[in-house]
Amino acid sequence: MPDYDYKLIGKSVPRIDAKAKVTGEALFSADLKFPRMLVAKILRSPHPHARILNIDTSRAEKLAGVHAVVTGKDTAGEKWGVFRYTRDQQLLCVDKVRYLGDEVAAVAAVDEETAEEALRLILVDYEPLPAVFDCWSAVTPDAPRLHDEYPRNINVEVKIEVGSVDETFAKCRLVREDTFLAEEDSYFMSEPYAVVANCHADGSVEIWMPNASPHTKAKALSNALRLPLSKVNVRKITIGGAFGGRSDVFPAEFICSLLSIKTQRPVKLVYTREENTIATRMGHAMLTTHKTGVDSDGRVLARETVCWLDGGAYSSTGPIATSVPFLCHEQAYNVPNVRFYGYRIYTNKPVRGMIRIHGRSFACGVDTQLDMIGEELGIDPVTMRLVNARRPGETTPTGSHVASCGLVECIQRTAEESNFKEKFKKSPPNRGIGIGIMSVQTGFPLGIRGGSQAFIKFHEDGGATVISGVVDNGQGNDNMLVQIAAEELGLPMEEIRLISADTESTPTDAGSYSMISTFGGGNAVKRAAEDARAQLFEVASEMLEADPEDLVARDRKIFVRGAPDAGVPLPKVVRQALLLGRPVMGRGAFNPDVDQSREWIKNPRGQLSQAFSFGATVAEVEVDPETGQVKALDVTCAQDCGFALNPLIVEGQFEGSVAMGGQGGMLGEEHRWHKGHCLNPTMLEYKIPTIKEMPRIKPIIVETIDPGGPYGAKEAGMSVAMSSAQAYCCAVGNALGIYFNHYPLTPERIRDAIDRKQESQGIKTAWDIEPARIIQPEPKS
Amino acid sequence: MKKQLLSIRVNGEQMELAVKPNATLMDVLREDLGLTGLKEGCSEGACGACTVLMNNEPIRSCLTLALEANGSEILTIEGLATGGHLHPLQEAFVEKGAVQCGFCTPGMILASKALLDRNPRPDDEEIKTALAGNFCRCTGYAKILEAVRAARDGDVGSEGS
Repeated sequence: MPDYDYKLIGKSVPRIDAKAKVTGEALFSADLKFPRMLVAKILRSPHPHARILNIDTSRAEKLAGVHAVVTGKDTAGEKWGVFRYTRDQQLLCVDKVRYLGDEVAAVAAVDEETAEEALRLILVDYEPLPAVFDCWSAVTPDAPRLHDEYPRNINVEVKIEVGSVDETFAKCRLVREDTFLAEEDSYFMSEPYAVVANCHADGSVEIWMPNASPHTKAKALSNALRLPLSKVNVRKITIGGAFGGRSDVFPAEFICSLLSIKTQRPVKLVYTREENTIATRMGHAMLTTHKTGVDSDGRVLARETVCWLDGGAYSSTGPIATSVPFLCHEQAYNVPNVRFYGYRIYTNKPVRGMIRIHGRSFACGVDTQLDMIGEELGIDPVTMRLVNARRPGETTPTGSHVASCGLVECIQRTAEESNFKEKFKKSPPNRGIGIGIMSVQTGFPLGIRGGSQAFIKFHEDGGATVISGVVDNGQGNDNMLVQIAAEELGLPMEEIRLISADTESTPTDAGSYSMISTFGGGNAVKRAAEDARAQLFEVASEMLEADPEDLVARDRKIFVRGAPDAGVPLPKVVRQALLLGRPVMGRGAFNPDVDQSREWIKNPRGQLSQAFSFGATVAEVEVDPETGQVKALDVTCAQDCGFALNPLIVEGQFEGSVAMGGQGGMLGEEHRWHKGHCLNPTMLEYKIPTIKEMPRIKPIIVETIDPGGPYGAKEAGMSVAMSSAQAYCCAVGNALGIYFNHYPLTPERIRDAIDRKQESQGIKTAWDIEPARIIQPEPKS
Repeated sequence: MKKQLLSIRVNGEQMELAVKPNATLMDVLREDLGLTGLKEGCSEGACGACTVLMNNEPIRSCLTLALEANGSEILTIEGLATGGHLHPLQEAFVEKGAVQCGFCTPGMILASKALLDRNPRPDDEEIKTALAGNFCRCTGYAKILEAVRAARDGDVGSEGS
């Protein structure tokens, strides 16, 4: 059992970074200013698909105040891809543009106005090409190809098959197939993307930008700039949210570095909100067809899922993005026979990446279909989920052992606290209740960058500095590291400083995008602190004439357990260690126990993540059938986060997850298009939730003490984000007696579904949508 | 473009500045005065990250020309703590966990201050109405609401320094 006698761990202590944020002291990338700094702007493609015939920059170069102009010619056509086999995005387009917004040229000038004028003076000759804007047209054999080497525009193909799906279907009590569609969604992190690059006479470049892994950014930039990794220094900076949208490498950081090197001056590039939306990443549109077979108890015996993801113009995190919706599902639901075909398809639209509620049509489809099956069999939604929920000690179809799992408790507690079963049976007209369940990874196999390392050094007065590569995107990672170190060293948090997320001074870390910061970085810092403490105890044991094993560090003192009054002050031990020539230098490392031979496409088998979070959310809503408006009333959400290192922060993650996953993600957030133009790239038109719409939220923290996590902790919040979308979806459906299959549930869609309902009979989805089908292979040319 | 004279009191300090007629208040505060606590989130008045108080009223500094502020008193987040002591709203935001990424925080706190100054006892609906123009993508607003309630009730501990 865990030692609950912690001084700081498990306590809702205020975050160490909060004071700098409430006073305006915290600096974000766009706040940086250096002497002689230039301003950069990017010229973007006005065509969704076109060949570049010529770029004439001569007039722009002559404009007073312009210091540099760069085009694809300056880049040697360098391509970026998350994987070696997905390098398809030129950091400045050389031969072709593939979406409205693709980077064509950039300038550095003395101010923004001059930079903008210079862009207008760059003349680009384009030969427009036919374009494709949706998956259905993109996969037709005669569709225009975005990338010559990808026939039918199929960028990524993931195939997973475990068990005997077809034979099992034949034995099922009930088999049904339904299709679900979700439109693109976006991060709308508060901070628009910005980058500052500052090159130096020694050939090094410093770069600041919002990121989810400084070391990944530095490696990609070092490749593209052809500089040694030690000369590309990504610096720490306050980051205004990520939600998956800062994981990738963007042309802008390369362009800004290139302009800085070319001008030998600092260069700042700040994206407009529109650029942040179209030229970083957005969520995939996704079409999902689930075929599910159950026995008479509602137990799912087999499922076949085919998914088409609209990937936009380039690969980005494609292999991960295509796989994760299925992997979350195989973790949450115990389905022995599964077949998954996932296709990520190129279209002439902005590039899609991972997003916090990745796979709305997959996840909401699974839960909506379970409710349909439940209705047919006379089984309520809670029982349907309990019957199929993952239990601890089991192994997922693709071979991940699940060490800790509190899913059943999450379902039971959310159902009980919301009084689900009673409300589901008889709710007032137009009121509804729904439940969703989910599981999310705590890390992926990431090769040499999959682990985390940390150092701890001491100051002469007994204070300490923690050095870690972990990045904080706003979720509280900095605080997590310090809280852990303070616990282990017996120091107040105020006496611990943190150096983090700086690629020059901090060691490697896996980044925050795979939900592993606490599990990986937290464990590494814990081990470094344990190592430092052991060194302190060695010295203190001589001072106290006691066995190191009997010593305790707490309240800036080291003492024999049970005798705090006879202890020595920690600063004295630190100084004694220096005198003895045995200075205290803590170091720790953690590599998650995952199968490094697992690969997203070639080998999707083996331990995916050492730990998994599990969650359940219940939403209660009221729908106005006249207008299609939904009012969310109450949301009860539970997640097994292993152990809550700081309950205040964990609750904040849950609450933010409900806002983004359920309230925004299911009720309104989507992009609209016209021939490749995003019609709502800004905050005026893309509606994210405000404080006015938010329901009452009841967060429930479930703890299972994962054997590998620091103090038992694992990922905190993502299972709520995703299950919130499912819960909202099922709740709106329950309110109206409609099974929704096109998301998000905007008032227009709800009204349309109500109109169609009068015509429909039987248990069926609101809309007939052409299913996602297995695409027959075609030889690569 | 010929610059014009702007006479303005910012965080208690009277100053005269030469500004371009088309410069926004946001640009002048951020670029000329280095008050980067206010943020540019959308540049179209939707997100509220650029909120400052002009004569105690919350305004969007991205939609306000600097010259419109001539003769007025401006408070930015940098001017809120006095003598090294956090304002009760700042303390409440720290203690109640209302701060995550922090990008919206300055605007959120200033909008809350304007509310509490004109209505010291707002109910939940009044708080929500006052903050409906300030987007937060991280918190789901629950702890922000709690923090404003706590500041209203004087329920803030010893955290600020």
